[in-house]
Amino acid sequence: MNSVSLVAELPGHDDRAWAVAWNPSRPILASCSADKSVRLYSYSSSALKFDHVTTIPTGHAKTVRSIAWSPSGKTLATGSFDSNIGIWEQENVGEDELGAGEWECMTILEGHETECKGVAYSSTGTLLASCSRDKTVWVWEVHPDADFECLGVMMEHSQDVKCVAWHPSEEILASGSYDDTIKLHIDDPTEDWYCFTTLIGHTSTVWSLAWSPKGSYLASASDDKTVRIWRRTEQYKWETVLTINAHDRTIYAVSWSKGRPKSGAGGLGWLATAGGDGSIKIWELTEETGSEPSIAHCLIAVLPSAHGVHDVNAISWCPREGMEDVFATTGDDGVTKVWRVVPGE
Amino acid sequence: MAFSGALTLTDLNDFITPSQACIKPVEQTNKPVQQEKDAGAAATEIHIDGSGTYYEVAQDGGDMTGRKLEQAQISLNDCLACSGCITSAESVLITLQSHVEVLSVLSNPTDERIPIISIAPQSLASLAAAYSQHNSSELLTPREIFRRIRTFCTSILGFAYVFDTNFARHISLNEHVKEFIERREQHLAKGDDDGLPRSPSETLPMLASACPGWICYAEKAHPEMLPFIARTKSPQQVMGTLVKKWIGRRLGKQPNEIYHVSVMPCYDKKLEASRQDFFDDIFQTRDVDCVVTTGELELMMKEFGWDLKTSSQSPSDLTTSRSIPLKDLTSARRHPGIDLPELVTHSGTSSGSYLPSILRHLTETSPVPLMLSVKTVRNSDYEEYVLRESAPSSSGDAVGKVIFKGAKCYGFRNLQNVVRKVGRERGVRVGSGAAGRLGAPGGAGKGVRRLRAVRKGQGGEGGAPGGDGEERKYDYVEVMACPGGCVNGGGQLKPPDGTSLDAEGYQRDWDGEGAIPSASAKWGDKGWTKKVEEAYWRDTGRVDAERSADQVADGIVEELWEAYGDSEKKGLFRTEYRAVESDVVGLAVKW
Repeated sequence: MNSVSLVAELPGHDDRAWAVAWNPSRPILASCSADKSVRLYSYSSSALKFDHVTTIPTGHAKTVRSIAWSPSGKTLATGSFDSNIGIWEQENVGEDELGAGEWECMTILEGHETECKGVAYSSTGTLLASCSRDKTVWVWEVHPDADFECLGVMMEHSQDVKCVAWHPSEEILASGSYDDTIKLHIDDPTEDWYCFTTLIGHTSTVWSLAWSPKGSYLASASDDKTVRIWRRTEQYKWETVLTINAHDRTIYAVSWSKGRPKSGAGGLGWLATAGGDGSIKIWELTEETGSEPSIAHCLIAVLPSAHGVHDVNAISWCPREGMEDVFATTGDDGVTKVWRVVPGE
Repeated sequence: MAFSGALTLTDLNDFITPSQACIKPVEQTNKPVQQEKDAGAAATEIHIDGSGTYYEVAQDGGDMTGRKLEQAQISLNDCLACSGCITSAESVLITLQSHVEVLSVLSNPTDERIPIISIAPQSLASLAAAYSQHNSSELLTPREIFRRIRTFCTSILGFAYVFDTNFARHISLNEHVKEFIERREQHLAKGDDDGLPRSPSETLPMLASACPGWICYAEKAHPEMLPFIARTKSPQQVMGTLVKKWIGRRLGKQPNEIYHVSVMPCYDKKLEASRQDFFDDIFQTRDVDCVVTTGELELMMKEFGWDLKTSSQSPSDLTTSRSIPLKDLTSARRHPGIDLPELVTHSGTSSGSYLPSILRHLTETSPVPLMLSVKTVRNSDYEEYVLRESAPSSSGDAVGKVIFKGAKCYGFRNLQNVVRKVGRERGVRVGSGAAGRLGAPGGAGKGVRRLRAVRKGQGGEGGAPGGDGEERKYDYVEVMACPGGCVNGGGQLKPPDGTSLDAEGYQRDWDGEGAIPSASAKWGDKGWTKKVEEAYWRDTGRVDAERSADQVADGIVEELWEAYGDSEKKGLFRTEYRAVESDVVGLAVKW
């Protein structure tokens, strides 16, 4: 068994923190909170030292529920309970890799009728997705000059949509909802965006989604205390191949990265889960080739009470080369914590 | 409550959906508070007496008198102000505005109102498409469908008059063009981009006002767009004016002595008819008393066993026991003839040709020849139309000066982009409520404003203003909430079973990539919309009709103009909008 060791403890939010996001190209970690602010931390990968560099007050009228970096690392999107999405950039990025300078709101995306719950950039950065309690999922096209065009509004979910996640290489969007389902959306080449399939299996709210690094699997975390792994069996078909009874309470967050698995062939990487029971769990997933393709899971690390008595709301692996074993969490205590998986004996 | 069978809320895609909570506030009254004798023992029961009145009675039975409880009432106007709960809003509508209501009025012998029905051309197209389907060799025209429905409505239902709404649309279009020209003149007189606030009468672009879905949405979500929306009444409401005011006068009847039903392709037309602006306070009546959808009209015909497929259907063919006219036929025949031009066509778009009418007017009245160019922005639901002076002889420019830029924009998604574009172009803050607060010092709004200033500066240095029509701001946008426009309205008939042709046709595109589940169902609807669009334009070749309609329209408008005082004139063909405040965001259910 491996252990999970604390690398950095980053307090500062005045209220519960909802999400963490690693900048994909710059050494910046961001967190957002019900205190309506976004806090940015810079770090050096060699020493694993994290420093608070700036706080964006945002101006959102309510909780900032979710944050997403564009792949270029230049733009930050904030999704808020005030129903809007803020788009943030720095004026002179070149001189300021660590993000300390002033972040300005380039535009506000309106359209959701009620709380925006999730935002996500597609792998190429040309599309931004958002979801809301108004049951809709929106796709925006990113234009130059912080201009956005709405490409689609999908109204297929019958309840609050909790999260959106883009496929790591294709323009496939997954959304998870209070209606217990996951829906997958694509662009109809001649017309609009639409939902092409619904993944049914969870018996309660789907809180979080994570695609496998290569995109052939999708992991979903639910209020039913399970994590489901869905395999792409055909181009437009996904099926549950594994259900893990992962936690004692609601699972709020799941993150999937390549990690540093021991197993060579068939290794699918590491899955990190966390939620209402306060514990963090790390799972190693392996593809097993037999007559019936299946995947095996192995719990390789557990850390109880990661944020004391508080719920853990978000978990995210660091995308940086050489830091595959580092991840961040944030929770109801308003504290962001950075962790490392340390190999055991 | 019995729900209308025609009401389906499935398959909604790209339409505006309701949110979850009712915003109707609990009414606060300052009545003396009754002294609670003993808070701990304040257990009460609610009793209902014989008249259906509710009483709160102490549970121990000590005080038998009880306190009469007030009934909570949610009126249609409350529901208009809200998208909180489609079920209750819809059920209010269903009782007030349904085919059941129509039948109950018509069969009520004590109701002496003269029943008049007006049918929208998109409804006729939907029926023409649906009933042509089974007999492809002979395609039914909207005109033929109208003839058959007229027979049904007069001989079976006992309507005194059956009209189409095209003539009302003709008046509406004339008024619409007039309003555009007025606005443009005032706008030009003030000069563009002076940054000063403008009144609606001088605000460009003008946005179409005929789609009630768009109006409701703008009032709720985008009050900053309201000054841009045309004040011209929709064809339905112009028809309401014609029926209650002009025909009423012809028949010597007061507005409340006429029962006016309209058949529309759209559920939101029910909301439109219920607006307070279209309620006559003096006579306590609406310009349109009841709106039924195309689907509900079909349901009525089916209930009476009326076969729209058969051309020579007559009342005696009916096998059902309900073949007696609900209203006495003979009395209906006693009504004097009212001749309105029938099925006047307006070429351009099947959603009413608002933009084409303006284009036509500008082209016809221009001192120099104009050229029209059309650019598809994303698909046929979003197109830009630019009018420019053709080949100027004096200058060496390849293209002439742009004198008008308009757009046709259908569907919720495109509507979002037009709202954003107009907001950006005209420097109005998009959004309401929560978004407005982002403008607080130090907040997000600060940065946004700064960015806008930068962009404006760049625009000034860049290419010639109005050069190729790219930089020119919109002068007019024909906005419709439904993708495909009114032929694809929520109240239209669903595609009949067995129209797999379209689905197959589209699926072929995907042969190389494997079939996508649920895609064919979606595209089937698109194919169906195309068929309704085709049906809409069948048999529309009467060129002279529009000119003669103009003469009749001028006469009627003049007559009404003279009949009504200055204060009332304004309301004959124009209306108003108001922002609906909703604090629902974030206050309702949380999970």
